[in-house]
Amino acid sequence: MSIEIKDVRYVVNDNCLLDKISFDINPGEITTILGPNGAGKSTLIKLISGDMKPSSGEILYDKILLNKLTLENKSHRRSVLSQSQNINFDFTVRDIVEMGWINDLNNNFEKILNEISKECSIEDIIERKFRYLSGGEQKRVHLARTLLHIKSIDNIYENKYILLDEPLANLDIFYEFKLIKIIRKLAKNGLGILMILHDINLAYKFSNKIALMLDGKVKYFGNPEKVLNKKNLEKIYGLKMKIFSKPFFIKYY
Amino acid sequence: MGTNIIKVDKNFFRYISNIQLKLISVFIAFTLICMILGFFFGSFDISIKKFVHGNLSQLEKEILYQIRMPRVLLSAFVGAALGLAGACLQGLFRNPLADPGLIGVSAGAALGAVLSIVIFSNLLEHHFLGIYLLPISSVTGALFVILILYSLSKGFIYDGVTYMLLIGIAINALASVGIGILTFVSDDAQLRGLTFWMMGSFANAQWNLVIPSIFLILISIIWIIPQSRKIDIIQIGELEASRLGINVIKLKFIVIMSSAIMVGVSVSISGMIGFIGLVIPHLVRLIGGVNHNYLLIGSAFLGSSLLVLSDILSRITIQPAELPVGLVTSAIGAPFFLWLVLRIKKS
Repeated sequence: MSIEIKDVRYVVNDNCLLDKISFDINPGEITTILGPNGAGKSTLIKLISGDMKPSSGEILYDKILLNKLTLENKSHRRSVLSQSQNINFDFTVRDIVEMGWINDLNNNFEKILNEISKECSIEDIIERKFRYLSGGEQKRVHLARTLLHIKSIDNIYENKYILLDEPLANLDIFYEFKLIKIIRKLAKNGLGILMILHDINLAYKFSNKIALMLDGKVKYFGNPEKVLNKKNLEKIYGLKMKIFSKPFFIKYY
Repeated sequence: MGTNIIKVDKNFFRYISNIQLKLISVFIAFTLICMILGFFFGSFDISIKKFVHGNLSQLEKEILYQIRMPRVLLSAFVGAALGLAGACLQGLFRNPLADPGLIGVSAGAALGAVLSIVIFSNLLEHHFLGIYLLPISSVTGALFVILILYSLSKGFIYDGVTYMLLIGIAINALASVGIGILTFVSDDAQLRGLTFWMMGSFANAQWNLVIPSIFLILISIIWIIPQSRKIDIIQIGELEASRLGINVIKLKFIVIMSSAIMVGVSVSISGMIGFIGLVIPHLVRLIGGVNHNYLLIGSAFLGSSLLVLSDILSRITIQPAELPVGLVTSAIGAPFFLWLVLRIKKS
């Protein structure tokens, strides 16, 4: 059981945005996409979440073709965190988080909501108006909504996936660290996780698999130790790299 | 796992608080009171006491049943339609300043109506279908605009909202050109009819027009109210809502079609009545909250009661003549709108 991406290609107006993308996202693993701006990372997330159809190739969720899944069916299998939009009305944080709950309201609802609020440290702001929060706070709220979404279905993690488009943007190092811990715990519980990061060192420490993207292609894919070497990184980012081994640290200049 | 089909709007009353339910009952009561006032007050007052005792004169009965009742009912439903359409479109476009006029629907309806007044003015009075000609051509105008919006925005696809607003601006401009030309070529009698129609009035409400209008408005209301929760969720973004399993394209279709019908019918029968669609939803939000389960119903009833009140005002301020009701709503609505804009700027 996994998400299989097979030879995916995405073309807009004769512009090939993604080409020959093939890899798997396995349950219980954190797969991280790294790459410079414009490499096609967010487009790939949109294809995998089923917002758009690939021009050719296929994406399978647990052996089922993504194109064959209804909107509702997709919503049962994955939740997505992306760069969010402004909200123009005075919805409270609680309102926004509750929107993630796609199941009927049952006894679990309040319990899970409280759990997640605590995890994402939004208990103190839960009655505040969402649109007056800072960028980092809004991020945490949307993350809580994303988590509530995936937990709302039947509170088990099998065959479910979370796609995170730059989950750490706008977060201070305290919440960055905290969020990484949350994501690790989710993976330990069997959830499959795909995320886009920009911090190579964090990606090395916390990922099971790394996809290095450039110009719409996944150039290198595999374990962090295998993929994150001087040669590959210099080719992807066009910067000089220096890799220290104990403790592992990548420096660029 | 795939078997438990989940509907997001299954728990309608879960997303509406007890206070909001109480507020809605207050709105309903207020609407009923306004309607009763509307029945009995005007340039010719009818005694409520006499009505209760059942000894109204023939003239009073005639006025009550043939003039006042259709007029009050019509203004109530038009108010509900405008308030509700405003609330829905503000929600859909995620823009507190959206209003049925903004996407060009009112302009399309107006152009249709003006077209029928100027071109078919002979038919209007003499043909037996004459009285339906104006409403039909007005609703057609509204639907035509919707059709343009639909085809230009490729079937209401994602994130086409800004695009749709811009198209709305273009349509508004085109429609006013059309109205301008028609006004220019019209003769004196037509011009007079045009002017009065444009300012909006319920003075010509007759049962044979009121009943089909109410019917259409009611159907739209019933179509749109169950979408409330989905309009809530779309606030976090169209893409995000679709990832939560909501069919955003279908939702847009329902909201825009039903708003077009409501606005088209209202414009056709009572002209351009400004500011109800814009101001009422804000008032309702200020009173009780932003969630659409409360907001849509609240806007319908508050819009209804305030338009009935405005109509009463329009009847009694300059007796024995009548003020166009559109003037009354704009006179009240415009300052409120200004206050609103200043308030938004502050926060």
